[in-house]
Amino acid sequence: MQSNNLFSIKKEHESSKKHVSGKAKYIDDILEPKNLLHGAIGYSTIAKGKIKKIDLSEVINSKGVEKVITYRDIPGVNDVGPVFKGDPIFIENNIEYYGQPIFAVAAKTNELARKAVKKVKIQYLEKKPILDIKQAIKKKSFVLKPVKICKGNAINEIKKSKHTLEGELYSGGQDHFYLEGQISMTIPQEDNNFLIYASTQHPSETQQIVAKSINQKFNSIKVKVRRIGGGFGGKETQSFIFSVISTLLSKHTNKPVKLKIDRDDDMIITGKRHDFYYKYKVGFREDGCINGLKITLASRCGFSPDLSGAINDRAIFHIDNAYYIPTIDLISYRCKTNTVSNTAFRGFGGPQGMYCIENIVENISEFLKIDSSIVRKNNFYQKNTKNITHYGMKIEDNIINDIFDHLIKQSNYKKRRKDIINFNNKNRILKKGISITPVKFGISFTTTHLNQGGALVHIYTDGSIHLNHGGIEMGQGLMTKISQIAANEFGVSLKDIKISSTHTEKVPNTSASAASASTDINGGAVIDAINKIKKNIEIYISKKFKYKGKIIYKNNKVYFGKQKIDFKKLISNAYFERISLSASGFYKTPKIFFDNKNFKGRPFLYFAYGAAVSEVIIDTLTGENKLIRVDILHDVGNSINSSIDIGQIEGGYVQGLGWLTNEEISWNSKGQILTHSPSTYKIPVSNDIPEKFYVKIYKKGKNKENVVNRSKAVGEPPLMLAISAFMALKNATSNKQLKAPANPENILMAINR
Amino acid sequence: MIKNEIEFILNDELININNVDTNVSVLNYLRINKRLTGTKEGCASGDCGACTAIIAELKNNKLEYKAVNTCIMFLYSLHGKQLITVEHLSNTKLHPVQQSMVDNHGSQCGFCTPGFVMSMFGMYKDKVKPSNQNIDEYLAGNLCRCTGYNSIKKAAKKMYSYGRKDKFSKNENKIIKLLKKIKHNDILISKNNNKFYIPLNLKNLIKYIQNNKHYKFVTGGTDIALEVTKKNNTINSLIYLGNNKDLNYIKIKRNYINIGSATPINKIIPILKKYYPSFAEMFYRYGSTQIRNVASIGGNLGSASPIGDSLPALLALNAKLILQSKNQRLLGIKYFFKAYRKTALKNNEFIKEIRIPILKNHIFKCYKISKRIDDDISSLFVAYLIKLRNNIIIDVNIAYGGMDSIPNFAFKTQKYLIGKELNLKNIEKSKQIIEKDFNPLTDVRASSYYRKLVSKNLMDRLFLEINNNKVRI
Repeated sequence: MQSNNLFSIKKEHESSKKHVSGKAKYIDDILEPKNLLHGAIGYSTIAKGKIKKIDLSEVINSKGVEKVITYRDIPGVNDVGPVFKGDPIFIENNIEYYGQPIFAVAAKTNELARKAVKKVKIQYLEKKPILDIKQAIKKKSFVLKPVKICKGNAINEIKKSKHTLEGELYSGGQDHFYLEGQISMTIPQEDNNFLIYASTQHPSETQQIVAKSINQKFNSIKVKVRRIGGGFGGKETQSFIFSVISTLLSKHTNKPVKLKIDRDDDMIITGKRHDFYYKYKVGFREDGCINGLKITLASRCGFSPDLSGAINDRAIFHIDNAYYIPTIDLISYRCKTNTVSNTAFRGFGGPQGMYCIENIVENISEFLKIDSSIVRKNNFYQKNTKNITHYGMKIEDNIINDIFDHLIKQSNYKKRRKDIINFNNKNRILKKGISITPVKFGISFTTTHLNQGGALVHIYTDGSIHLNHGGIEMGQGLMTKISQIAANEFGVSLKDIKISSTHTEKVPNTSASAASASTDINGGAVIDAINKIKKNIEIYISKKFKYKGKIIYKNNKVYFGKQKIDFKKLISNAYFERISLSASGFYKTPKIFFDNKNFKGRPFLYFAYGAAVSEVIIDTLTGENKLIRVDILHDVGNSINSSIDIGQIEGGYVQGLGWLTNEEISWNSKGQILTHSPSTYKIPVSNDIPEKFYVKIYKKGKNKENVVNRSKAVGEPPLMLAISAFMALKNATSNKQLKAPANPENILMAINR
Repeated sequence: MIKNEIEFILNDELININNVDTNVSVLNYLRINKRLTGTKEGCASGDCGACTAIIAELKNNKLEYKAVNTCIMFLYSLHGKQLITVEHLSNTKLHPVQQSMVDNHGSQCGFCTPGFVMSMFGMYKDKVKPSNQNIDEYLAGNLCRCTGYNSIKKAAKKMYSYGRKDKFSKNENKIIKLLKKIKHNDILISKNNNKFYIPLNLKNLIKYIQNNKHYKFVTGGTDIALEVTKKNNTINSLIYLGNNKDLNYIKIKRNYINIGSATPINKIIPILKKYYPSFAEMFYRYGSTQIRNVASIGGNLGSASPIGDSLPALLALNAKLILQSKNQRLLGIKYFFKAYRKTALKNNEFIKEIRIPILKNHIFKCYKISKRIDDDISSLFVAYLIKLRNNIIIDVNIAYGGMDSIPNFAFKTQKYLIGKELNLKNIEKSKQIIEKDFNPLTDVRASSYYRKLVSKNLMDRLFLEINNNKVRI
C-alpha cells in the first residue's frame, strides 16, 4: 500500500453537494415508471392469537385497488428470516405481535392503497401475550437456547472476595429512526425477472429472500441501491419483508410496484434494539478490582430469532468492555415475547453488554467511595498480563490505558470533579455529575463466514475509473473512503473515480453493510481488484518498455525506472495492446476463527478504543437535565478521512445519548406499541447536545493489523461513548438505582427512591 | 366575487391551480405533481422537518420568510404566497447556507439535509445572530439521526461568512411585484365533492358558515392535517383562516392584549416577552419554528387538548374569549373547557379573539415539563398567577395541563393559599393539597406518580424563583 495525499485528509462526503441541493436521489425520488402501482400493508391489531375470520371484500372493492394478496399468494417460502426461520411474510394462522403483516394491496395511488387497507374486517381469537423479559424467563419462552459461559470458578472467587455487590439492571430498547423510512420499488423485467430498488443494508440477502419467496433462482432477481437515508442496523434484515411484498405485488399484477411505508407503520412493523434485563453478583477487592462476576443477561428478542443469536453473543463478547474479569459465570437468555422481532442496531448487543459492566463498576466505586475513574483504571486489561478475554482471545492491541490517561488530562477531569463536588455541596436543587468511561469494541462479524467482500473495477479507455463493491452508502461516508482508496492506488484524483451503486449484478454474495467493517472489507476487495489490473499493466510495461521493477502511480502519472507516462495515455495505449483493464476483487478477513460450541476463539481481527467524559446538570425537583460538556478521545487507527470519522464519532455519541436518555419505547398491557411516531418517541435534537462538545481523534492511533491505511472501523464504537453521559447522570443523582433511559421521570424516581 | 382557484408563486413561477384534491398537502403536490423531490417526507406529521420549505409573504411591502412543514400544510393555503423549495436555492453556485453545510460536513445520509438547509435558510433570511440559542430555536423542528448536530450547528454559525446577500435579496422586488398582482378575493374550490373556502374577511366568513355545515377550520393545519396524513381520512369541507386579516392581529387596548384567533404563535411571542416573559419562554418550546410560524393561538384553544401548552397559561391569566357566530359573545376562559376536547363553542361559532389582561401587579410564572426540552408535548404544565400584599397572597390562580381531562385550576390549593403568607411552611402545606386536586393518568409521556410529584415540586420552584433564587438548569 502506497501512501499519497488522498489519505489522512479531510474530504467532504462525495454526495454532500447533492444532499444540500436536494439532488441526491433516494428511492422515492427516482422517476416513476409508467403504470406504477402503490402498495400498503394490513397488519394485526392484536399481539397474540389467531384470525377467526377475515373479510377482505371491501378492501378488494375499494377505489383504485388492483390486487390484494395474503399468504395464499406466495408461490415460494413464506418466510423472511435471515439466519433462522420464523419471520412470516404474512400470517397464516398464528399472530405473534401487534403489527404483524396479514395482507397487502396494490392500488393506483399511495393514498388509495392506504385507504383500502383500513377497510378490512378481522375477527380475532385473542390470547394473552408475553410482554416482558422476566415473564418470558419465568415461562421459559425463548427464541434460541440459553448460552452459558464459565471462566474459572467465579462463584468461589466471589465468595472469597472482601466485598460483594449484587443487583438488577435494565437497558431500554431503541427505534432506529432512520430519516428515510422503509421503502422498496420492484420493476418487472423479461423472463419473470425483477429489478428491485431497495432501501437496504443487505442487497444480496434481499435478492436471496425475494427469490425464495417467489420460488425462483437467485439469478432472476437484481437488487440495486445507490444510497439509503440512514440504516443503523434497521435495514440489515428488517427491509426484506418490504422488498418481498413489493415484488409479490409486482409479480401478481405484472406492473411496477412501490411500497413506501408510513412512518408510524414503520415503527409498528419493524424491529428495534433489544432491551435487556441483567442480574449480577460481583466480588471485588479494596481497590475495586473485580475477582469474579456472576451474571445473567436476558434480552427481549421479540417473536422470532432474526439476528438475536449474534446480537446476544456480542453482548457476551462485550460484557468485559475494557476490563479484565478473571472469573466469570454467565448465562444469556434470548427471550421470546409477543412484540416485534428485535434486530440489529449500531453496536449489535455490544452497547448492552458494556452498559451492564459500566454500571457494575460505577456501583463498586460508589460502594467503596472511590472516584470511578480510578476503579475503572484498576480493572483495565494490561499489555502483557491480564490480557486474555473471557472468550479466550488475547488482546494484542490494547491502548485503553493511554487513551484514558490522555483524556483525563485533556478534559481536566480531576479538577472538574472537585468543582462539581463543591457545587453539589452548595446547591440543594441543582446537582451536577461527571463521568469518564472507556470503550473497547471488537471489529469483525462474529459469524466468521460473513467477513468477506467483493469489488469490480473497470478503467475505461479515457482513464476514468468505475467501480462497484459490496458495501452500502448509508451516510457513513463509505463511498467517499472507497473512492479515496481507489484514487490513491491509481495515483489519480478523486474526480476520476465513479462508484455508481451497489448492485447484485456487479458484485455477488456480499455481506450486509454492518459490523462497522464495510471499509475494511470492501476497501480490501477494491485493492485486490486494482492489484490485478496493475499486474496486467506491469506485464504491458515490461513488454513494451522492457522494464522490470517498481511502478509508481502518482499525480496522474505512472513512474517506472527513469520514465514516466500520463496515466490516461498509459491506459489508452494498454487498451490498444489488448490488456484487460477490468478485474474483480475479493477480500476475506484474516486470522479470525471461532468455536461456537465452547465460545472460544478469535472472533475479532482487532479492537477499536475510545473514551469520553460527560458532565451533566440535573434539576432534582423535576428530573430535567442537560449535558454541559463532552470530551471524547477516540481511536480510528490512522484515519482515512478525519472529517468523516469525526462525523461518525459525534453522531454515534448522540445516538447513544438518545438510547440512554430520552428514547423510550412503550407498550400497553395488550402489547400494542404506543410510541410509534416522532410525536411520542423523542430522539435528540440540536438543543440536546452540549455547547462544549470536544471531539478528538487519538493521534497515535495505528491499526496493528494490516487494514487499509492502518485505519480502524468507526461506525459502531463511538455509540458506546455515550455511556459516560448515563454514568454522569447516575453520578448526579448520587448513584442511586437510575434506570435507563435516564429521562426526567426516571431521574426523579432515582432521586426519590 | 368568488374566485375558484388559488394563485401562488412556486419558486419564481406564478401558479394558478384548482384541479387537485382539497386535501392534498404541499409536500405531495411538490413531489407528485411537480416532481420536485428535493423536499423529503420523513414522518408526515410535522415532527421531523425533512419536508421543510420556506414561505415568503408580503408584509409592509417587504418579504417575510417563514419555515414551514409542507407535509402537514394544505396546498390551497398557499394562496397569495411564495413557496421556496430547496431546488431553488442554488443555480450555478450553492447558496451560502448550502456551501457552509458542505464545508462543515453537515450531511451524512443526506435525507434530512434539504430540511435543515431550508430551516437554516429561514434563519439566514431573518438575519438572526447565529448564537447557540438561536440556532437551537431555528433547528428544533429538524431531526437528524446521523450527524449528532455538531457539524450542522457549525455550518449555521459560519453561514454568514459566505455572504450576507443572496439571489433572493436581488430578486425581492420582482417577487413583491408578482405577489402584489395576486388578487385577494373570496376563494371557493370544489373538487370531487370536497370544498376549500378562503374567506376574504370576517363578514364573508360569517355569512358562509351560516349556510354550510360540517366544515372544519384550518389555519396552520398542524393538528387537523394529521387526520389526512395519519388517519387517511378525507376532510370534505375546509375553511382556511390563515389569510384572513380580520382574525390575524395583535392590539393593546385598555390593559388587554387582544389577539386575533388566527394569529400564529410566533407573532405573539414578542408581545408576551414584554408582559409575561415566562409565557414567552414557554412558547419558544411550543412545537418548533415550523409549527409556530403557522399554528394559531385560536387553533390551540379550539383543539382544547388537556396538554395544549398555552391553555393553562391563558386560564391562569383569566383570559377572555370573543366567540363569534352571527353575533359576538364574551366568555371567560374558565367556562370554555367543558370536557375532554369539548368546548363551549356552539354550532357555527368560532373563536374570534383572545383577550389577555395585562396585570402589572401580579406575578406570573409558567413551567412546562416534557421528556425532551425542545419540540415535545408536555408531561405536565403549570401556570401561576399570584398577587402579594405584604407577602400575603391576596389573589392566586394555579392552572394545570396534563393533570386532568381538561386544562384546569387547582381549586383546593388556590382556596388554601388565599390569605396565607408566602412562606416555606405554607408552600409545603399547599403541596399536600395539590394531591387532592388532581388524579392524573399514566401515559407514554409520564406516570401518574411523576405528574403528582412534579406538580408538588414545582411549588418549591415557584417559591424559590419568587425569592430570586436561580434554580433552572
